[in-house]
Amino acid sequence: MSVKYIPVQWNTNKYFYDAIMLAGVCAFLYVFLYLTPDLLSHERPINRQIHNARAFGACAFVMLTVILCIGPLARLHPAFLPLLYNRRHFGVMTLFVALTHAAYILDWYYAFSSTSKFAGVFLANTSYGQIAGFPFEIFGVFSLTVLFILAATSHDFWLKFLSPPVWKRIHYLIYPAYVSVVAHVSLGILQDQQNHSFTAIFIGGALIVGVLHLWAALVERKRANQIRSEAAEWIPVCNVADMKDGFAKIKLLPDGKRVAVYLNGGQLSAISNACAHQNGPLGEGRVIDCLVTCPWHGFQYDVTNGRSPAPFTEKVPTYNLKLDRGEVFVQAKANAPGTYVQPIPATGGQEVSA
Amino acid sequence: MVIEALRIWAMIGAAVAAVFLTFGMDRIDEDAQGAYVFRPLLIPGVLAIWPLVLWRWYLWESSAEPWERRFAPPRAAHLFVGWLMPLVICAIILTGLSVRQIWPADIAPVQIEPAAEVDG
Repeated sequence: MSVKYIPVQWNTNKYFYDAIMLAGVCAFLYVFLYLTPDLLSHERPINRQIHNARAFGACAFVMLTVILCIGPLARLHPAFLPLLYNRRHFGVMTLFVALTHAAYILDWYYAFSSTSKFAGVFLANTSYGQIAGFPFEIFGVFSLTVLFILAATSHDFWLKFLSPPVWKRIHYLIYPAYVSVVAHVSLGILQDQQNHSFTAIFIGGALIVGVLHLWAALVERKRANQIRSEAAEWIPVCNVADMKDGFAKIKLLPDGKRVAVYLNGGQLSAISNACAHQNGPLGEGRVIDCLVTCPWHGFQYDVTNGRSPAPFTEKVPTYNLKLDRGEVFVQAKANAPGTYVQPIPATGGQEVSA
Repeated sequence: MVIEALRIWAMIGAAVAAVFLTFGMDRIDEDAQGAYVFRPLLIPGVLAIWPLVLWRWYLWESSAEPWERRFAPPRAAHLFVGWLMPLVICAIILTGLSVRQIWPADIAPVQIEPAAEVDG
């Protein structure tokens, strides 16, 4: 952000998002603990500690499954973008639910360990050479560690400090963490289930995550192939007649970056498709009063100079354009972030902006 | 040993956090100047990834990072993850199911040896 940092940036939408999320967690725990003992095969009176541990563990798995579904869903259809808006709060809440699960486990199974409880997790079972009886706890430890790192680096300061690509790469750890959770469950509680309901819910959830990611990846590859360009100084984008006022055409440049070319009030402008906040797709936003709004988190930029309106100071690169017999061309080399580029009229013969 | 290694890691991280959060971040981020309430929230992050914090701090101070890098999201990872994750998930679940031992709950237990005499 470009105003002073505060601990948590809440607004009405985020309060609403968080309230629904919290209600969902409470509802899940209530259903698990009190309404569905038959369904989940814990009808026999296991003690309260184990019962709670299973409830929070199952809740963390479901939350992680939902979080992992949001990304591909938002890539597949913009109707799911509101779910993306406050996903970081979702992740932090998942960490606390998973920590509660771990605390119940530690305080029950390792309460009387001859070593410390934490050392006991690593020392109680060291049968790493076999699959049956494998110390599945280690997968849970890995996932919990990743969740901690992701939550601890979720503040907007980290995005700016690390840069969006580095931050994103760190947060891609969520994928191995989820796979690790699947291993934690598969070699853990799944080995002990007599009732198939739990098995079906678990496998169904994990497969939905896998299938959605594969589907979104294939759709994204198809889109990328459609907007890919050959190496040249000036890259053809589209015919100006195909553009819609207030919206952009996105082009994939030879260097792998994407440019968003906007038709705004009969004038053409181009900025980077990557938002300065989280590299969200600016080209999917709509221009109002010369400002495009990022569909991910609402950051805004003037399409003529790539600058956020005051008091914000974010900047994105701009691009030079030219119009030749109705065809829009963009210069492959970007201007430094915040560089003003004179918009060119969308009508007429040959125009060049620089 | 793991616990001890974590302790040392956290101690170095605490030292980095003390310097970075009280002194370093004001030098590199104008939005942090005069903002103090949010800083304790950053401590766990610095403890966790302090080597990266030091590296990024150096890049900010030296202006050594080309600005183009900030606008190059690693989108190629989606395709890699999209193929790999479903395969690995399926492999893990099948492995888990294959080693699962089902207790024959519907079969009545049979005593295969007579009860041993036990001296009273």
